[in-house]
Amino acid sequence: MNSKSSPSGPCPHRAKFTRRFLRALARINKDRPTSSSHHEIRKRSRKIKIAADASMAYAVGSGRAWSRVMLWKLRNRTRYRAWIWSRVIASTRKRIDKGSKQGGELSRTDQLRQLVPGGEAMDFCNLLDEAAHYIKCLTTQVQVMRNIADFYFT
Amino acid sequence: MDPPSLINGGSFPSANASSYGLTEIWPFPLNGGGVGGVLGLRSNHLAGYVETRGTGIVNRDVLVDESTITEQSESRGGARRKRRDATSEDESSKLVSTSSDNDMQKNSGGKRQKVSGSGDENGDSKADVESNSGTDNKQAEQSMQPSERPKQDYIHVRARRGQATDSHSLAERARREKISERMKILQDLVPGCNKVIGKALVLDEIINYIQSLQRQVEFLSMKLEAVNSKISPSIKDFGAQTFDTTAMAFNSQAAREYVQGSPQEWLHMQVGSGFERAT
Repeated sequence: MNSKSSPSGPCPHRAKFTRRFLRALARINKDRPTSSSHHEIRKRSRKIKIAADASMAYAVGSGRAWSRVMLWKLRNRTRYRAWIWSRVIASTRKRIDKGSKQGGELSRTDQLRQLVPGGEAMDFCNLLDEAAHYIKCLTTQVQVMRNIADFYFT
Repeated sequence: MDPPSLINGGSFPSANASSYGLTEIWPFPLNGGGVGGVLGLRSNHLAGYVETRGTGIVNRDVLVDESTITEQSESRGGARRKRRDATSEDESSKLVSTSSDNDMQKNSGGKRQKVSGSGDENGDSKADVESNSGTDNKQAEQSMQPSERPKQDYIHVRARRGQATDSHSLAERARREKISERMKILQDLVPGCNKVIGKALVLDEIINYIQSLQRQVEFLSMKLEAVNSKISPSIKDFGAQTFDTTAMAFNSQAAREYVQGSPQEWLHMQVGSGFERAT
């Protein structure tokens, strides 16, 4: 279990993530179109973000629920998009219906569920566990990306 | 020494236990077996029932079958008197086995005998019946307890003084402990979360932190996109520098080894395929 490692220590998936992410960046760079319109830039930055997420999830592997769900989502991205929108619309409608009846912790838990990939189907205990691991991985992701960006920038 | 009380003390547990034993030992769905089990159980209830009502119904049954029962009860009485000194539970269980054997051999006689035993005792003294019903309850409790123990072993939580001990509250307590433990782990992970008190506020902090991290990822990907396009022409002097900075960024030896390979690989990919074609 990855949760056994100390929270302050280096993430074990860091090297794997970096390697994958650099490769993905190279791939994105390779098939770069010549046009640099605003739309293209947005599309590319989105691609990079997806690449970062995917490489993190790949680095973690299928041992974690959130990485599994993230990989699944990324794999069926095109099919998943319509489903996401239907879910978003339904959830906003639900929230409007519920109104201020359920304030406080339940809505907080639901927020956390939406933030952690695959959190909708977890109970609270597992959700906290996955959230801890997800935070750990996100921090490594941010650190590595910042390192790469800093290097490029200078 | 008053013989009736002694006989009662010996005979009652055996009658009860045989009623328990019958349903367990008798695997066949025969009519006689089923009736025997029912009658045996009913004899238990009757013991408490007769306290208020008296001995009316049961004694009638006894009178009807007395001719067949007498010899059996005599033989059993002798056996009980031999063993009456040691009235431990083991002895009573042995008695149970013998009596149930008798029941299996002689269906109707065995059935009747149990009823008759309880009837006779009820006729003898009410005080005895009360005490025996007390032991009945104890026996029932003892038979219930072993079925509950495995459940308690299953959860591995011990209740402190004054805490509820049924399985649901034990499970709930275990769950709560798990949640608080994980909250503690999360508090260690999220900076500035240790000072916050209260589950809701901690959750707020966690949510904010995850959101900020996700936003940072988005921002960094935009930045990388901008930077990536800028840096790509000067790819030549890239490999060595990447190596240095990424190696500095990594703490562990294993990670460093991992990354030593990667920039060169990247260089090969970029120089070999993509950018020489473009230039």
